[in-house]
Amino acid sequence: MSKAGSTQPSERHLSLLVTVLAFALPVVFVLVPLAIFLVYSFFSVDQGTIIHAPTLGNYVRFFTDPIFLPVFWNTIVLCVSVAVICILLAYPAAYFLTTLKGRWRYALLMLLLVPLLMSYVIKIYAIRSILGLNGFLNKALVALGILEQPSTLFVFNMNAILLTLSLLLIPFAILPIFLSLERIPQTLLRASDDLGASGLQTFLRIILPLSLPGVASAASFVFVLAIGDFLTPQMVGGISGFTFGRILYSQFGTAYNWPFGAALSVALAIVVICAILIGERFGRNRGTSI
Amino acid sequence: MSALPRPSTLFLAAITTLVAMLLYSPLFVPIVSSFFTISHGDVDWSSPTLSTYRALAANHDILAALRTTLIVGMCTVVLSVVSGTLLALYYHGRRSGRSVLQFIIFLPFLMPPIISGLALLIFFREIGLERSLLTVIIGHTVFVLAIVYRTVLMRLQSMSRSLVEASYDLGATGWQTFWRVILPNLSSAMVGGAILAFALSFDETMITILVTGTQSTLPVRLWAMMRLGFSPDINALVALILMFTVLLCVLAARFLIPRQMATERA
Repeated sequence: MSKAGSTQPSERHLSLLVTVLAFALPVVFVLVPLAIFLVYSFFSVDQGTIIHAPTLGNYVRFFTDPIFLPVFWNTIVLCVSVAVICILLAYPAAYFLTTLKGRWRYALLMLLLVPLLMSYVIKIYAIRSILGLNGFLNKALVALGILEQPSTLFVFNMNAILLTLSLLLIPFAILPIFLSLERIPQTLLRASDDLGASGLQTFLRIILPLSLPGVASAASFVFVLAIGDFLTPQMVGGISGFTFGRILYSQFGTAYNWPFGAALSVALAIVVICAILIGERFGRNRGTSI
Repeated sequence: MSALPRPSTLFLAAITTLVAMLLYSPLFVPIVSSFFTISHGDVDWSSPTLSTYRALAANHDILAALRTTLIVGMCTVVLSVVSGTLLALYYHGRRSGRSVLQFIIFLPFLMPPIISGLALLIFFREIGLERSLLTVIIGHTVFVLAIVYRTVLMRLQSMSRSLVEASYDLGATGWQTFWRVILPNLSSAMVGGAILAFALSFDETMITILVTGTQSTLPVRLWAMMRLGFSPDINALVALILMFTVLLCVLAARFLIPRQMATERA
């Protein structure tokens, strides 16, 4: 908006200032830190001090040490599973929302999204108490006769992380799926109906394919949020639930190896970028272009 | 999608109910325990009490953390709304370099917080900035900027160009047009963006843990306490925060939804 009326010198100064800020802010506070971070991944540590000489040692260690690659892979599998669970639960819910009319639709959508705004830490704590030995889940399973006695299957292991992350991230799957379902023109469904397709046929051949972009974005959202989380695994994972995020975080705490932590972050960033690109690629292609 | 036969609608409704229950059960636990005592995993329904709320009022540690969180939230809102609006105004209708810079703004929001947090941590160390509330505020601002920017930009794009042209035609200067035409049109988007920014800042945990100094915000304080187990007054705090967030959410919906219902990540 600064191009018009920039005849007075004070306005020209201001617009120059705005231009500088508009470029400097993102560069200084986002790009520069990320660049320094990347450079750090080529440094090393000797007895608690960081040595500012370039080396590939951190990356070599990541690929050769028998600990890191398996944890990395397991974490990816875990987060893909979280995404699958979230979508399996979110899809029917999102679909149900689109069958509702007007106000109800958005009221219910809101209802399903509000838990997102609730304190993350508190939710983790509450879920842990639900999954625990004396928790509600065990009580319910025992009461239903599915379990003889309370089980420790749901706390302090990988299952616990899987369940907790899924519970936390479902709303992130509901929204994109809902948006893609809502965008499907009603005329297509009526045409399908007129041509004699059954409800199931209409769903499988029209609704499902057209909503897949939403599913792809949902999956990439959930995956990225799950893989970056280090609080949940720390809280409910116990000793056996060791994820990549935890290892990464520990490099900046107890292990105190920032350069190696930076290298692990680069690996994490690459996976995240791939997930985002895949989500973008399949999330955009179709759906709107009818 | 009204062509569905009834059994499948019932099935969908059942799944939706299940999802809602799953989402709300973690919220339910602390709220119930804020009014009732729980021992050995059983709720004692017979004696409702407000003692947890009284205990909360006396817990200076938590109240200090709450105050810190509010300060950080306010500063983050001011910084992110001012810079987000400036950036949106600047990039709107400009082609060169916009997509690259826009991508940079979105990076901290897209990247896992652990990466943004660690990058900032190393950055602050390299430029010699001590970890403090200032670093937390910078971290939060960088994180929420994308949301404010996007909210304002979308409103700008939906604003008719002829409003600005009319203003110039009627002889208004650039400043007058900005203050009297553009800004009033953006105000509800800015308020909505501010509420979202505050809500995100209020609950931001991962970046904060990494860049905070000695003063901790509420989520970080809770995180530290969680290892030892919570005292009952935390539940009272949680119940209050929930009420507060629902209120915020209703407000945000009021400012954002009428125009951008289908496109916002509310």
